[in-house]
Formats: sequence, structure tokens, C-alpha cells
Amino acid sequence: MFSVIVKDTREFLRDRVNLFFYILFPVMLIFLLGNLLANMDKAEDAIGTIRIQYQRDTTDPYQQQAVMNFIGKVKEENGMLQFEETSDIKAARQLAGEDEITAAVLFTGDPMEIQIYEGTNQLKNKAVSAIFSSFIQSDKAYEAVFESNPQALSGLVLTQGEYVEQKDLGIHRTMMDYYAVTMLAMVCFMIILVGTGAFMGERQSKTINRLIIAPQNRVFLFLQKILGMLPQVAIQIVVIMFICVVIFKAHYAANTSDNLWLFLMFLCVTLCMVALGSAIGIVLKANPMAVIMPVLWIMMFFGGTYSREMHVKGLTEAMPIYQIQQAAYDLVIFGHHEKANYVIVISLLIMLAALITGAFLFSRKQEER
Amino acid sequence: MSYFLTVKNLVKNYGDLCAVDNLSFYVKQGEIFGLLGPNGAGKSTTLSVITTLSDFIKGEIEIDGLDILKDRMGIKQIIGMVPQDIAVYDHLNALENVKFFASLYGLRGRQLTNSSIEALEFVGLSDRLEMKPKQMSGGMRRRLNIACGIAHSPKLIVMDEPTVGVDAQSREHILKSIQTLRERGATVIYTSHYMNEVEEICDRIAIIDKGQLVACGTKSELVALVTDAQSIYIETKIPASFELDSLKKKLRNLPDVKAVALEENSIRIDISIEKSSISKLLEQFLSMGLPVINIKTEVPNLDTMFLTLTGHELR
Repeated sequence: MFSVIVKDTREFLRDRVNLFFYILFPVMLIFLLGNLLANMDKAEDAIGTIRIQYQRDTTDPYQQQAVMNFIGKVKEENGMLQFEETSDIKAARQLAGEDEITAAVLFTGDPMEIQIYEGTNQLKNKAVSAIFSSFIQSDKAYEAVFESNPQALSGLVLTQGEYVEQKDLGIHRTMMDYYAVTMLAMVCFMIILVGTGAFMGERQSKTINRLIIAPQNRVFLFLQKILGMLPQVAIQIVVIMFICVVIFKAHYAANTSDNLWLFLMFLCVTLCMVALGSAIGIVLKANPMAVIMPVLWIMMFFGGTYSREMHVKGLTEAMPIYQIQQAAYDLVIFGHHEKANYVIVISLLIMLAALITGAFLFSRKQEER
Repeated sequence: MSYFLTVKNLVKNYGDLCAVDNLSFYVKQGEIFGLLGPNGAGKSTTLSVITTLSDFIKGEIEIDGLDILKDRMGIKQIIGMVPQDIAVYDHLNALENVKFFASLYGLRGRQLTNSSIEALEFVGLSDRLEMKPKQMSGGMRRRLNIACGIAHSPKLIVMDEPTVGVDAQSREHILKSIQTLRERGATVIYTSHYMNEVEEICDRIAIIDKGQLVACGTKSELVALVTDAQSIYIETKIPASFELDSLKKKLRNLPDVKAVALEENSIRIDISIEKSSISKLLEQFLSMGLPVINIKTEVPNLDTMFLTLTGHELR
């Protein structure tokens, strides 16, 4: 029963082309892309001084005080931010339009609204948005405490460091982490070629005829071929994850159970691709490299495998590899399993359909000339 | 009388093309049976059907008392195939290759290893167990191809041109091995393009052309079919202006001529012995402006027989 599995594993491990293409090549890509594109994470321009003129037009004294507290705190801690109160918001808007100041801001109404009139510098505008987003968030938090436990506010003393911080995710993420996941997804997808090659290889070496005439149940033989690829794909995933973590210091999930779940998800995707490839390989006469490879590269390109900057709305989301990558990120960054589970179930269903189709096709296979 | 292999009224089509047309023959237990025919005659297709590689439209095939339609697995178990193309795995060594194929026939453990080594010894590769096919010469790869087909000790061994492209030494080894297999009790079906090989090792021969059986019997029985003909080799110099096809046609139309074959520097003509008239033939040559440089006659052999029966040469 295990002779086909042993044979296929031996062949895979002895074929240098396979080892390069399915293990070394992705590892090289992770290293190169992870290092070369790491700079994309870094800012290219300095923001400079941000000058904001604001007018308080709100009648709610609590809101007025909240604005003043926030502005006072920000001015105190950050010298690059300059806040100037004005009574003429129209003049301030004109100055913003002429880029004399960064923005004019009007706090108005009850409940309070914040109207921001920006200048033309997009980078500074982003910074202004971020500043007031954080104000809104802290104001909401303050309100929540005020409503639930007002007494807590009476003893509140603002000292340095007592403000809302981004939740610590436990891991300092780098581009290497991004590519460690996308390249793993790429390998899983590319394994469809291993599946296709499993039967095409037998055809090319003419050994398929020897398999067909052997006194073996064809369905069983087909399943043995699929199982024969199981050690290969497991080796590939483990080796890539190991090299990424140990040598490149990339991170997957923060804990072992999520990492095992990630491994399981990629294993299911890989087996699905193997089964799909095997079924295709039984009928496909053309070179899979010429037929399947371009399709894979297009899917991976638009799926953001090679660059996270690549995102075409509607198209990127439609790429299966994108969904797999998103499921992986959800799992490794936030520890969310929902998408990963969804990927596992879909992969298993496709695998089952491919296995049935492939076994049927192989059981009807006649001599290969 | 019951035979080891019986093929009755076999018909096999590829689309509109009839590859095997109502073919019938039998093979006795323990004999080497030769299938002869030009390219496209239907030899390989016949072998494919016998080895269960292909289905067929009509006919009956029985091997060792088993019906191919009813007991396919039983038949697969007793057949060993040596395909025309070398069908081995390049990344496995010789022993691993043979062991893998033998394992498909249910051999396990020590029996598997011993049978595989024995098969490799049999084809003269016992000192190359660890060698991979890529490192082997063409002849050695051919011998490995044979070992992969015989390690499970099949009762019927089907060999499709097993000596194509091998050196003389390997060919000699292969032919001796096949005869040894017969001595051990195996039945062998053998196809080849080399007439001398077939003459040397086959007990009986079937001539197939255009999917049909032209003749079947021992070498002497087949030659006896054409004993009324003799081959005359006339060495000549064919002018460049001569169209070879029309020349062949003219000669074929001469009285008592049974077959004509144009060779490098000579023309072979098979004419009826009884009505032999070499002088008339020579007169015709001269009248066509073809010089007669030399002349040689030959008694019929398998080549003559093949040419006479099919109207064309084997290759």
C-alpha cells in the first residue's frame, strides 16, 4: 500500500528542480521581498509643523472643556503642533485654502461636531485627521466613563503616559512577516503543479502504462498517488515555516495553537490543490507550466502576494489566494479562526470533489502512447 | 486443444481507423511467439489489448484459461510487460525501480527484494543495483526495462521491440535472456523490426499487416508458403532521371514478378521459381536502359516471405 507513497517521496526529495522550485525559491523570495520592500513601511517625507486655527462654537461647557484639555495636552507634548484659537473661521478657512495654515477647525453644535477645512498638503491632512480621530476616540472613552462611573473622573489626574495607547499585539511586525505568510500561500497554490505533474510525470516517463496494467484497483492507485504527495507537501510547509522563523526571524502567530491551526489551514489548502492538480493532470496534455502557471501568477499578482500595495477593488477580493492570505493574517495577527475555518471547509469540499473526479477519470484511463 | 493464449476475431478501432481487423491467433504454453509487421500494422495495439491497457470492440481473448473481460485482475497478475519505450523512474536506482514495479504485483519483504535482485541478475545488472537509469548506457536501460517487467515471475511476458537502439552486446544478452525465460516455463510474445532476431528466437511467428493476420506458423512453415519464389538481386546503376516509384511499378508489372524492392545499389526482385526466366528479366532491364553490373540469386527466407506476403518490406 505504501510503495507508491515511498516512491513518490523519494522522487520528490531527489529531484533538485522540485527542491529548488517548491522550497528554495519561495524561501529566497521571502528573504528578498521581505528585505527589499521593508522600506515601504517607512515614511519618505517629513510632515513638518502643523498649524491649526480653531473656533469653539459649541454651547456645551463639558465639550468646550474637553476640547481645551485635549489641545492643551497635545500642545504640551508635541512641539510640531501649533493650535491657535480664532473667532473668524471664514478667514481661517481662507488661510487654509492658501496653505498659510494646515487646517481650520470648527467645533460646533450640541452634540458637538468637528468641521475640518484642510489645505492642499495631503500628508499634513492625514496627520490632522489622525489627531482629531484620536480626540474623538478619547472623548468617547471619557464619556463612557462619565456615564458609567462619574466618580472615577473626580480622582483622575493626568500624568505623562496616562492616555490611550494602541493595544500591544505582542509582536513587532515587519514586511518579512507579510511575505512569510504570502509566500507560504504561494507555495500552497503552486503545489497544484506538483499534483498535475504527478500523473504527467508518469505519462512522460511512460510508467503510467505499467501502473495501468498492474493488478491494482485504479481508484486505490489514484488515492495512493495523492497520499504519496502528502509527505512532500508537509515537508514543504514545515521547512518554509521553520526557515522563516529560525533564520529570517519572521513571525507567524503569537502562540503554538494558532501556529498549528495555520499549518492545518495551509495543509488543507495544499491537499486541495494537489487533488485538483492530479485530476487536471490526468486529462491535460499541454505543459502545465505553460497553461496553469500564468493563471497562478495573475491570481497571485492581483491577490497581493507579491506586494501589499496591489489592491484592485472587486478584483483582489475575488482572488482565492487573497482570501487565504486574509484568513492567515486574521489568524496570526488577531488570533481569529473564523476565516481560517471557512478556508479549511471550502478546501476540503473542493478536494473531495477533485478526488472523486480524478478517481473516476483514472479508472477509465486507457493506454498512453 | 487448449492454448495458453487465444485471440479470436479481435477488432479494435481508433475513431474511424480500424487498427486491428478481425485478428485471430493462438500461443502455446512455453513458446516464444513473434509478431511481425511494418509500422502501423497493429502489433502494438494487439499487445495493448492483450495486456489490458486498451479495451476492444469485438472478439475474445483468453489467457491461461481466464477470460480477459471476466477476470481482468487475474490476467493482470500473470502478465509482465516490457514496453517499447523505456518506462522507468529516473530518480530511483535500478533496484528501487524493480522493487517498486514488483510490489504492484503483491510482492513484499524479503521475497520482493530477492525477486528484484534476481531479475536484475538475470539481465546482467547485478553489479549496478544502486545505479540510476540516467547513469546507465542505452543497453543497460533496456535491460533494466526488462527486469522491471519480469521480477514478479509472470507466466506471460509481452515484449514490444525490447532491443531497439541497443548495442550488439546488449542485444545478444537480451536475446539469450528471453530464451532462458522460455526454458524456465514462461510464454513470451515478442515483436521486433529485426528479422534476424525473430528468426533466431521465435518458435512461431504471426505476420500482421493493416490489422489483419497475413500468415502464422513456424519459420519453416512460413517460408514454405513462398517456396515458389526466389529472390534475384541485380546490381545496377539507376540514372538520376529515373523516377523510382514508376521504375518499381514497371518492374512489378513484368511477367512472373511477385515483389520488387529497391535497395541502395541494387534491385531485389522475387520471381516465381517455376516460371523463372532470368534471361527475359535481363532483357527488360537492358531495354529500359539499366545496366546489369552483377546478379545474385537467393533462396527464400523470412525477408522474402514477408515481402512476398505483404508486398512491402518490414521497415
